Amino acid sequence: MTVVEEAPRTANGLRTASDSRLARFILAIGTIVVLILVFRLSTSFGVFPESWDIGLADPIDRARRWLISNQTSHWLYTVFLNPITDAIDWGIRRLESILKWFPWYSYPLITGVGLWWTRGRVAGVLGLASVSLIGIIDLWEESFATLALMGVSVLISMIIGIPLGIAAWRSDAVAKVVRPTLDAMQTMPGFVYLIPFVLLFGVGRVPALISTVIFALAPVVRLTEVGLRTVPQVTVEASEMFGATERQTLRLVRLPQARPAIFAGMNQTTMLAMSMVVIAAFIGAGGLGQVVLRAMQSIEVGQASEAGIAIVIMAIILDRFSTGIATADPGHDALALRWLAVAVTVAAVVGGLLGHNEFPESLNWQFAPYVDDATDWARDNLYDIGGSGIGTGPFSDFVTLEFVTPLRELLSSDIPWPAMIGIGVVLGLWARGIRLAVGIGAALFAIGFLGMWALSMDTLAQTIVAVAITLIIGVPVGIMTSHNDLLRTALKPVLDFFQTIPSFVLLVPVITLFHVGRIPGIIASVIYALPAAVHYTDLGLRRVPAEVHEAAESFGATRGQRLRRVEMPLAAPELMVAVNQVIMLILAMVVIAGLVGGGGLGLEAVRGLRRSDAVGRGFEAGIAIVLLASILDRLTRAIADRLRPPAAV
Amino acid sequence: MDTASETAQVRVEGVWKVFGRKAREARAMAKAGASREEIQTATGSVVAVRDITFEVAPGETFVVMGLSGSGKSTLIRCVSHLVKPTEGRVRLCGTELTRADSATLRELRRQKMAMVFQHFGLFPHRKVVDNVAYGLEVQGVDRQDRQDRARELLDTVGLEGWGDHYPQQLSGGMQQRVGLARALAVDPEVLFFDEPFSALDPLIRRDMQDELIDLQMKLQRTLVFITHDFAEALKLADRIAIMNDGAFVQVGTPVEILTNPADDYVRAFTQDAPVAKVLQACSLMRPLDGTAIDPGWPQVSMTTPLETALPHLLGSTSPVVVCDEDSTPVGLLHGDDVAGVISENRP
Repeated sequence: MTVVEEAPRTANGLRTASDSRLARFILAIGTIVVLILVFRLSTSFGVFPESWDIGLADPIDRARRWLISNQTSHWLYTVFLNPITDAIDWGIRRLESILKWFPWYSYPLITGVGLWWTRGRVAGVLGLASVSLIGIIDLWEESFATLALMGVSVLISMIIGIPLGIAAWRSDAVAKVVRPTLDAMQTMPGFVYLIPFVLLFGVGRVPALISTVIFALAPVVRLTEVGLRTVPQVTVEASEMFGATERQTLRLVRLPQARPAIFAGMNQTTMLAMSMVVIAAFIGAGGLGQVVLRAMQSIEVGQASEAGIAIVIMAIILDRFSTGIATADPGHDALALRWLAVAVTVAAVVGGLLGHNEFPESLNWQFAPYVDDATDWARDNLYDIGGSGIGTGPFSDFVTLEFVTPLRELLSSDIPWPAMIGIGVVLGLWARGIRLAVGIGAALFAIGFLGMWALSMDTLAQTIVAVAITLIIGVPVGIMTSHNDLLRTALKPVLDFFQTIPSFVLLVPVITLFHVGRIPGIIASVIYALPAAVHYTDLGLRRVPAEVHEAAESFGATRGQRLRRVEMPLAAPELMVAVNQVIMLILAMVVIAGLVGGGGLGLEAVRGLRRSDAVGRGFEAGIAIVLLASILDRLTRAIADRLRPPAAV
Repeated sequence: MDTASETAQVRVEGVWKVFGRKAREARAMAKAGASREEIQTATGSVVAVRDITFEVAPGETFVVMGLSGSGKSTLIRCVSHLVKPTEGRVRLCGTELTRADSATLRELRRQKMAMVFQHFGLFPHRKVVDNVAYGLEVQGVDRQDRQDRARELLDTVGLEGWGDHYPQQLSGGMQQRVGLARALAVDPEVLFFDEPFSALDPLIRRDMQDELIDLQMKLQRTLVFITHDFAEALKLADRIAIMNDGAFVQVGTPVEILTNPADDYVRAFTQDAPVAKVLQACSLMRPLDGTAIDPGWPQVSMTTPLETALPHLLGSTSPVVVCDEDSTPVGLLHGDDVAGVISENRP
């Protein structure tokens, strides 16, 4: 009977998607098992052979030495790079001195009035208080260094980004180059950009700024282009019909209508730049980032939290300002605010002329000692509560010994490297096809040839553990919020907060509790990626149409059945997007965590930044990070596409 | 006909528009009589406008009526050169657009023409007054002058006091008045209307049509009007062109089309048309030609709908006198003519 039924189905080419999908999945799993067994039995394979290391580090180190010795004489520097360096450096110093000309009290006041204007009274008062706090904890000077660097970075990003966005909108040829480049730039952990610029410029504020600009550039370009593309055609036709020139239409019709999108891009660019503050401090950006970094390295948690809080305050204020500008509505406070703005401006100018620019020392008060006390207490009491084997210490050990280390061993040596590459290829083949499979294979080989196999597997193991924890927590929370609007409203500000603050700052409290090592990195990255997991799960489940819910209910499905049989499968592509986002966020964070004892690729890369004899290795590690990130990104996105139900014919 | 050509303000000759790569092949197929679907399957190109020729005299209202997909929107864009025709010539106010360089075209748009759009096409980021002043701003008129002129036109379209609002704050009908004021602000000789009232609800649409008729009586501009609504076409047009599948099926006055539809396609429209409501006394009246008027004959104005004149004609053999605004008789409306138009279309 079945045979008779089968035949016409295949003949019509109407084999259902699930048949072929299941078949392909089983084939893929089977191939992976066979691969592992085959290479396991021939024991000669283990870690990627060291003799295959192509030794890219040596030529890079040589190039670095050459660049250092020629920095003052070669035309590349005298004609080209040094003038750039000087101009940027001049810009930063100039902005810093202008910012410092104004009296100290103008900053809390300007922030207060500005936030009142854009966000209401409560925000205004909070803004005033939090800016004052930065001065009170004696981080005024450092904040100005950071603010100036941010200001110039964002300004340069705008100057490059908006015209680039216009060019990409105007010409498909430009767009074809710009779009994938931006995609790739955004996928990479920001950290990776530091290495080539250190190679070229050495250590200092300029390479830090250039790296920041490159990391933060993408949103403003992309949103300028999107903004221009979505200008309604009919308004453009109307403008043309009045005999406007191309430039007039661009200036009077297109750009004004794209402005909200450009503002949104500016906001995202500012936020990305802020997230580079600590990372850029690795190569001499100075400012608040450097305070955090130095304190973290000497485990002075109090000092690190003070600087961390200053960064968070700055990030949140810049975020609220730049999202508020487009929609500002002062309402009935408008008149009072206008007078207040005038008064503050006058006070700022008068104070500047009188020279009240130092934050008064008499107002200083530091909470670092209290934090240090609390940290000591936590270390003494929570690390191993009463010697009972319960506490953060044993927990770290447990996770490390039971999960991270075994997984690392499994990936780096227990599964032979050819089998690892085979697994990557098979997954690529299953998820998309031959091109992705070849790409993944080549990338994995390249990691091996760079001599980064073991370190990459270490980073991969940490990433997998962190992703697993994030999804185990995040997906159920997302399911709950999708069914409960109250919970969602309650969680939203918390999630927003964790997404606004720069990733590195999250490490500070975590280190307090878990010391240095792999675990604090994993935990910090879980916290960092959780909002994305919750958000996308919630989004995916909310997209399931109401009729589908009703249909399922009308058949008498229980809540659990509805979730498992109907909602989850329908939301599967969005859930896969969640997985993709989570993986990318965690990878970026795990690399950073390498700097505080997480080891892996991050540690290798940072060594390259610190010690001039290790630049080559650092560069190799950077390339390995890029390759790893690309593999995981492409693979998860391909799987997301595969899970999408077939489009209508 | 030659003299008409000399004075025609808009003159379109053999215009074609083919979207897609294989324009030449598609045109060849179309000339051989292939339908749009056949051409699309064979070449992948779409023939949107095929071989359209017409003229519009100064002060005339020329309405192109067609269903969606008939190519009427593309046609008006070819005429105004928002879209370049694949073939054919367009002359506007004596200048050949098809050959004009971009500077000439721009100058012509600034001075001679304007367009009102289906979805208004207002600039959401500009106040109403700045929307109306846009054409003048583009020409480089100073701020004060253009604002004064814009406010003047807002008064004309009945929007005094709304200048400082943003378009989104206005209702659909008011937005289209802004669109109209914006087009009139540059004092154009030719006005293009691309289904201007189709996004409005029926009552507002009727008001806007009436106002356009009033305005046109005062201003006497050349109008090219696109619509998918046959009743609207009958109401506004001096002449109507019925368009289907990219080509004109019939061109004529409303009465010609109603009394003598060219084919079944046109007849289908005429059968459903509310003729007695839409047609006015002036479109069916016969000239006086020295007929002696009996003072007992009923009188109607030129714009009276047939529906209203009909009771006067029923059960009487005498005609109705049609008078102009000064109550001077200008023509006679005969019962036979009215019955002809109405019965022809309601078999």
